[in-house]
Amino acid sequence: MSTPPLSAEELRRPLRLRTGRFWSLYGVWHRHARVYCKTLLANATPPVLEPLFFFLAVALGLGTYLPNATFDGLPYTTYVASGVLVASAMFTSVFETTYGTFVRLVYQRTYDVLLSTHLRVGEVFVGEMLFSATKGALFSSIVLLVTLAFGARPTPWCLLVPVLGFVTGYLFAAVGLIVTSCVKMINNFSFFTTGVVTPIFFFSGTFYPVPEHPAVLKYIALCVPLTPAIELSRALFKAQFTAANALHVVLLAAYTALYHWLALRRMTKRVLAAR
Amino acid sequence: MTATAPDRTAAPPMVVARGLTKQFGRVTAVAGVDFDIASNECVGFLGPNGAGKTTLMRMIYSAFARTAGELTVFGRAPMLERKRINARLGVVFQENNLDEELTARECLLVHALYCGLDRATARRRIDFLLDWLQLAAKADTGPRQLSGGMVRRLMIARALLNSPDLLILDEPTTGLDPQMRHSIWALLRELKRQGLTILLTTHYMEEAQQLSDRVLIMDRGRIILAGPPKDLIAQHLERYVLQVSGLAAPPPVPAGVRHERAGDTDYFYSHAEAPLQALYDALATPYALLRHANLEDVFLRFTGRGLHE
Repeated sequence: MSTPPLSAEELRRPLRLRTGRFWSLYGVWHRHARVYCKTLLANATPPVLEPLFFFLAVALGLGTYLPNATFDGLPYTTYVASGVLVASAMFTSVFETTYGTFVRLVYQRTYDVLLSTHLRVGEVFVGEMLFSATKGALFSSIVLLVTLAFGARPTPWCLLVPVLGFVTGYLFAAVGLIVTSCVKMINNFSFFTTGVVTPIFFFSGTFYPVPEHPAVLKYIALCVPLTPAIELSRALFKAQFTAANALHVVLLAAYTALYHWLALRRMTKRVLAAR
Repeated sequence: MTATAPDRTAAPPMVVARGLTKQFGRVTAVAGVDFDIASNECVGFLGPNGAGKTTLMRMIYSAFARTAGELTVFGRAPMLERKRINARLGVVFQENNLDEELTARECLLVHALYCGLDRATARRRIDFLLDWLQLAAKADTGPRQLSGGMVRRLMIARALLNSPDLLILDEPTTGLDPQMRHSIWALLRELKRQGLTILLTTHYMEEAQQLSDRVLIMDRGRIILAGPPKDLIAQHLERYVLQVSGLAAPPPVPAGVRHERAGDTDYFYSHAEAPLQALYDALATPYALLRHANLEDVFLRFTGRGLHE
């Protein structure tokens, strides 16, 4: 190859770069969305299908033995649907910022490139969490639609499901980043997914109400960040809001703020450290 | 002329380092280095793996904070003013970190957008760079289907998207075949002619000699020599070298010739070619090479010819 003549004017053209926060976050979000969409089918199938299989097995399988039972004032099918759609936001998000982030960090060295530009570490990871949150909104909506087709009963409040999915997605993206910041080998994530994510999925009131007795169980369950999200999802399906739901909103906001802060702190330390 | 930056009193230096130090725990990667990089200079940081070259570059583009000393880039403080600094520079990495899932054009588009270009400007600039770097035919191909030289050109295109004033390249031709290396060198010389300031790290002496106005030779975190390649060779070595490997015992050394032995190789240095030529003719071994002294000889003279790891 010989270097062809160059339009010097074009090469050295001064550019006006939009380096503000909005365009920085958009740029990072766009990068992830673009890459993700390239392999959409392979990426999106497990986090949509997994909660749906649970829904089919539990709500439609086990549920046939509980024909007239109501849980928390909801028919069982609707009860489970309202739980698994939030869980799907958790799954897609937490996988994005554990395995996905780790691959970008260690194998693909994506952050080396992102952080050689004007982007701040905070912008890079907030952009990433926003992308995960977007997936949370999208997947919880897809799961909602599928469960409706299988007999779950919606209310107009269910239009807020994408918002709930978004917040849940953001929250668990932050949790994922915190875990990733501590992990040295990709195999270590299985401790987290099996030891933490799976129990959260089963014991946050997804399939049956958190027992009232002893009362301490209820408070322990509220310490698990998925619980308030599921409680709020239930409220949307019941179209009834109680004082406890206000607590759930506050808890969800507090968990999100706390984990957001911790995630940025931990990831800043991780990417600015030696390899 | 002393071995310092060319006199460009009009333009302030692009990069200034004084006593710049980086430690990782108890390991000192960069141990108090001083240098200035003038505008439109091409400077090669030369040294073995682990000399601290890459760490130094990473401090310049705010990927690492320094441990001690001073560093300014465009007169600004890295880390504190990373937005203003990094908006004006481009980095070409040693390893391929292009997004494998995307096509060449998409790789450039996502980078352009997070660099802050608007879509119309991004498209125009991508078309221009793909064209100039002869990648237009491969624009819709993924990085995995590109040759090593094309991958490197695509990474250079990516680093040029934001129209930088300073281009930083980490081992730009490692792993490329000779044709590709020469074409990348030609490309970099053209960029310098267009006014860019270029910093490159390399462990290829030839690369440093081909491209650099000045080389800064690093070893174990320190700059041990600095200056234009030609001057360094002239200052520190004779003009010619005869290098002979595998001799059981060195032959008698003629008058006016300096002899060194390292491992199984003998080096004969002289300012005149004739005595070395005579010695060359007298030796009946195929493993002899008579050549000009080069940067590698200077480097090895100062760092020792033995392995040090």
